[in-house]
Amino acid sequence: MPKLTIDGRTVEVAAGTNLIEAARTAGIEIPYFCYHPYLRVVGQCRICMVEIEGQPRLAVACATPAAEGMVVRSESSERAKEAREAVMEFLLANHPLDCPVCDQAGECLLQDHSMEEQRATFTTGMSETRRTFPGYERRLIGPHVIQNQNRCIHCSRCIRFTQEISETSALTYKSRGNSTFIDTFDGKPFQDPMSACAADVCPVGALTVREFRFRKRAWKLKSTPSVCPGCSIGCNIFVQHHERVVYRFSPRENSAINATWLCDHGRFLAESLNQQTYLSPQRRVAGQPASASWAEALRALADELRGTRSLRVVASANLSNEELYLARELFGRHLKGEIVVPVFPGEPRRMKNGKGEWRTSTDAHPNSLGARRLGLATVDGEGLARLLGRAADLTVILDPAAHPYLAGDEALQLLRAGTLIAFARSQHPVADVARWLLPTPSLASNEGTFTSSPGVVQRFAPAFAQPGAVHRTATGAMSPACPTIASPWGPPGEARALWIVLTALARELGVATLDLASPADVFALMVRTEESFAGLEWEALGGRGQQESYRERQHVG
Amino acid sequence: MEAVLLRARGLPESRTIATYLAAGGYEGLKKALTMAPDAVTKEVLDSELRGRGGAGFPTGRKWSFVPKDHPGPRYLICNADESEPGTFKDREIIEHDPHQVVEGTAIASYAIRANTAYIYIRGEFVRWTRILEEAIEEARKGGFLGKNILGSGFDLDVWVHRGAGAYICGEETALLESLEGKRGFPRLKPPFPAVVGAFGKPTVVNNVETLACVPHIMTRGAPWFASIGRPRNTGPKLFCVSGHVNRPGVYELPLGVTFREIIEEHAGGIRGGRKLKAYFPGGTSAPIMTAAEVDVQADFDACAQAGTMLGSGGIIVLDETVDMVEVCANVAHFYAHESCGQCTPCREGADWCMDILDRMVEGHGRPADPETLLRICRFSSNGMTICPLGDAYALPISSIVNKFREEFDRRIETGSPLPQKKLPVLPWTGPRPGFGV
Amino acid sequence: MSTRPIVAASPDSIAAVTLDARMEERITELLRRYPTTRAAILPVLWLCQERYGWISPGVMRAVASRLGESPAFVEGVVSFYTMYHTRPPARYVLQVCTTLSCAYCGGRALVEHLKGRLGIGFGEKTPDGEFQLMAVQCLGACGDAPVVQINDDYYENLDVTSLDKVLDELAARR
Repeated sequence: MPKLTIDGRTVEVAAGTNLIEAARTAGIEIPYFCYHPYLRVVGQCRICMVEIEGQPRLAVACATPAAEGMVVRSESSERAKEAREAVMEFLLANHPLDCPVCDQAGECLLQDHSMEEQRATFTTGMSETRRTFPGYERRLIGPHVIQNQNRCIHCSRCIRFTQEISETSALTYKSRGNSTFIDTFDGKPFQDPMSACAADVCPVGALTVREFRFRKRAWKLKSTPSVCPGCSIGCNIFVQHHERVVYRFSPRENSAINATWLCDHGRFLAESLNQQTYLSPQRRVAGQPASASWAEALRALADELRGTRSLRVVASANLSNEELYLARELFGRHLKGEIVVPVFPGEPRRMKNGKGEWRTSTDAHPNSLGARRLGLATVDGEGLARLLGRAADLTVILDPAAHPYLAGDEALQLLRAGTLIAFARSQHPVADVARWLLPTPSLASNEGTFTSSPGVVQRFAPAFAQPGAVHRTATGAMSPACPTIASPWGPPGEARALWIVLTALARELGVATLDLASPADVFALMVRTEESFAGLEWEALGGRGQQESYRERQHVG
Repeated sequence: MEAVLLRARGLPESRTIATYLAAGGYEGLKKALTMAPDAVTKEVLDSELRGRGGAGFPTGRKWSFVPKDHPGPRYLICNADESEPGTFKDREIIEHDPHQVVEGTAIASYAIRANTAYIYIRGEFVRWTRILEEAIEEARKGGFLGKNILGSGFDLDVWVHRGAGAYICGEETALLESLEGKRGFPRLKPPFPAVVGAFGKPTVVNNVETLACVPHIMTRGAPWFASIGRPRNTGPKLFCVSGHVNRPGVYELPLGVTFREIIEEHAGGIRGGRKLKAYFPGGTSAPIMTAAEVDVQADFDACAQAGTMLGSGGIIVLDETVDMVEVCANVAHFYAHESCGQCTPCREGADWCMDILDRMVEGHGRPADPETLLRICRFSSNGMTICPLGDAYALPISSIVNKFREEFDRRIETGSPLPQKKLPVLPWTGPRPGFGV
Repeated sequence: MSTRPIVAASPDSIAAVTLDARMEERITELLRRYPTTRAAILPVLWLCQERYGWISPGVMRAVASRLGESPAFVEGVVSFYTMYHTRPPARYVLQVCTTLSCAYCGGRALVEHLKGRLGIGFGEKTPDGEFQLMAVQCLGACGDAPVVQINDDYYENLDVTSLDKVLDELAARR
C-alpha cells in the first residue's frame, strides 16, 4: 500500500491506484475529461497534469500509478496550473459558446473545469475561426442520442464505451487531426442496447439524450436514489425529477451490478413513471365510476374483505418486498386468501458490472426473486387463467401490469364474475370491471426494497409524495425529436403507495402486527421473521432516504 | 570519406544479391550468427551508433532494453516510414542497396532474439516496397532468411508492411498501433516498446539507415565505425540536401562536418548565386538556423548545443528570396495535416498556428499573433503532448518567430486586421449523411 | 514511365462485396504473417483498393466481417490514412507535394498550372474522370523537387513543360 503526499496531504492507497483516484482519497480534485474510472486510460485530454518531485516534466495523473514516497503537487504547483490553463485555452479555442442552448449546462465537465482553470490571459476570445462540422450540429445518430460535433472535445470516452463496455464498437473516430469527428459506420443508426450511456460519458454536450432535450435544466433536477424496474438485474439509478415530474433516470454507481451504466430499455422507462391516470379512489356504481375518499374506500374494502367467503389475490413481481410481505400476511395468512405472483419472460437484457462481468436477465420484473423468497407462489399466464377460472367471491388485483393476460377479454370476462378490487396507476381495462379502483403511484413515489436476480436486496427511496396529472406541451419546432414537455399542471392527486393502503387496511381489520408506520418498519419485521432477510439492515442497504441535489450525487464520470 | 552505405550507388544491377554478395554482403550476418546475441548488441553499443530516424538514441542501448527473461515472442521493426520533410535517405538506400537493410534487420533480430521482423514502409513508396520484397525473396532463396539460417538454428521471417499515408506512423508507438491494424495513435510511455511493443511483446524499432549501418559494424568492427566522427557522434551519415541549392541530393559524410561544408561544397552552394537565408538542419521538426549559424557541426551533440537538432539529417536550404512568415505557414500546414488528433494541445494547437499564419500571410496579422504563436508552441511541447509531434511544430515555429521576428512585425504593421471567415475543414471525403433533428 | 490507370469499380457494383476465392487466398497468406487478424487490416485494405480502385462501405463491411471487427472500427482505420480512396477516384490521381522543399522549388507554380490546365481544385476530378488533384504532404523525394506522385509512381524534377508532357501522354492513352 504505497503512501504518498499530494499537495502536502499524505494518503495511503492500494498499489496500482492512479494519481487521480489517490488525490480523491486525499480530498483533492484533479480535473479530467478523458479519464473515466471504468474505461481504459488514454491520457488524451492532458488536463490532469501534475508535478511530481524529481521528474522534470509534468505527468498525467490518470496514467501515473501512485508510488511509495511520491511527492505530487497539483493545486500547489504553478507549472501544473499553467499547463492546465493552457489546455483549457486549447479546448475553448474551437468549442462553441453554446451553453445557453446546450443540455449539458450544469453538468458539463468543460464548464466546471473552465471555471477553475480560466484566467484573464486567454487569447481565444470570440474566435471567428472555429472549426465546424456542417451537418453534424444536431444529428440524431440513433434512437436516443443526438450529436453536436462542434462541441466535441475528442476525449474518446464514447468510443471506448462502445468498444470496451457494450462491445458493439459502434462508434469511431473518422478523419484525423483537428477535423476528427465521431460517427457510426457509414452514418448508419447507432445500434447499441446501451446507446444512451455514450451520452452519459460524454463530458460535454456533444452527445446528448433525445428524450431529455430542452426539457429541464440539470441544476433544477433533484436526484433520488432508486432501483431500475426494467428487469431483475436491479441496476442502481437516480430518479431525477422536478416538481413532481420524473425527467430521467441516470445511473447510480454500483460496481457490483451496473458500474455507472444503464441500458436503454431500463433508462427510458423513466417517462412511463409520469403516467398517472387514476388520481383518486373510484367506486363503480351502476357501471359508472364515482370518486370517493380514502376513508370511504378503506372502510368499504375492509367490509368486503371481512365479509368474503373466498378471496384470491393477484400480486405482482413489480411490487416491493414490503408490499409483497404485507399482502402475504394480510391476504394470505390472516384472511386465508389465495395469493399468486404472475411472472412472464421478457426480452433478454444484459448489464456489465464494474469488474467487466456480464449479467443477463430474461425476467422483466424487478422483484421476482423477492416474491419467491417470501414463499409466494409464482404462476405463468396459464396458471393465472386457471386461478381466475375458479370461482371466487372477491378478487384483488394489486398491479394490473403483473401479466398481459389481465388485459385480455378472457380475463375481463372471468373477472366480471364476483367482485373485483383493483389497484392501478395508468389506464387499464380492469378498471372498467372493478368495483373499487384504488390509485397507486409509480416507483417515484414509493419506498421499499427489491431483491435483484443475483440475490441482493436493494432499497429505493421516494422522490415525491403525490403525483398529479402530467400535462404535455408540444415543443413544436424547438425540438422535433422530443415532441412534448411534461409539466405538472394540475393539483397533486391522491394516489397512495400500496404499503400505505395495506397497513391502513390492516388497521381497519384489527391486525395490529401489520399496522406499521413505514416501509422501514415492515422491513424490520421481515428481518425478524423471514430467513431470507435475516441479518440485513435497512440503513446499510444504500439509497439514502433524503433527496440529493444533482451536485451532491455520486460523480458519474 | 569512402562510401559505406552508398557504395553501391551507380553500380550496374546494384540491387541484386549477387552484387551484394560480391561486395562482401551477408558476411556480417554470418559473423553475428557465430556470436552470442548479447555480444552482437555489445558490438553495436561499442560502435556508439545512434538512431538515424530523428531521435538519435544509442542503438545498442535500445537493443539492451529488451528483457532477457521474457518468454517472447519478440519483434524487430524496421521503420521505413520516411516522411520527415527534407528527408529522403532511406529511399536512397533502398533504391541502390536494399540488402543492407535486409541484412541489418536480420542481425538486429538475432541480437534481440526476434524471430519475426516487419519493415513498415510508407504507403507512397510503392516502388521501394517492391524492391524490398524482391530483396527479401532473394535473401530467403539464398538461405539468409527463413528457418535455421545458415545452419545456426536461428529462424527469421521478414515481412514488408505498407503504411497508407500518415507521417505520425513514423513515431515508433504510432507505428506499432498502425502495424496492429488500428489508427496511428501514439501510445503513452511508459511502458516503452522494448518491454511492451508490437502485440504487447518486447519490440525494437530502428530506422532504415540505422539498420543499414549494422552489417558494416559487424564486418569492419565497432572501432572502425567509432573512428568516423567523434565520441558519441560516430559513423557515416547520409545527409539529404534539398531546397535552394545547386546540387540537391543525398551525401554520405562523417558525422561532424559543418553545415557550411555540406551546403557549399557538396551541394554546390545556393542556386542562382544567391545568399543563404536560413536552413533546417534535421527536417522541419528542428529549430531553424540562420545563415549566421551555418558553421555548426552536423552531429547530434553539436546541434543540440547550438540550440537545434540533427534529427534525420534532412537539410532544407532557403535563400534570400523566401518570406519566413510564408515558410512558417507552410510548416504549420504540414503538422496540422499530420496531427493524429488524440491529444488536446497538438490537435488544437497545430490547427490554431496554421490559422494564425494563414491569416498573416493573407495580410491580416494582429499585433498579438507572434506572442500567441509562442504561447501555443510553449504549451505544445515538453511533455504537454503524448508524442513529440507537438515539439515537432513548436520548435520550428517558435524558432522562426524568434529568429525572424522583424518579418512578422512588418507583416502586422503593413497588414489590415480584418478577421477572416474560416471555412470548415474536412479532408474526410466519405459519405456524409445530413439527416437533422 | 507507364503509370497504370486506376479502374474504379462503380459504387453500385461494390455496395455489397463478397471476397472471392483469389482474394481469400491472398488474405489467408497475409494472415499468416501476423499474430492477430486485426493486424491484417491495412494489407487487406490495400488488396481491396488494388482490386476495386477504392474502398466503399461495402468493402469495409466485407473486410470487417472477414477479420472479425466492427465495420465502424474498419471505417475509423480507413479514414485515418490519406491513401485509401473512399470515393471512386479518377483514372490518374495527381498527388502534388505541397511541403517546403517542393513548394519552394517550383511546386507552387506546378499547382497553379495544374489548376489552370485541368480546371479543377484540390480534391476535385475532371469531368471526363481522367485526372484528380490531391494536395499531399512531403513525399520523401525532396532532392528531386518538385515531385508529383501519379497513382503509384513518382514523377520528379518536374517543371511545367515536363509535367504537361506527362499529362499529355497519359491522356493520349485513353
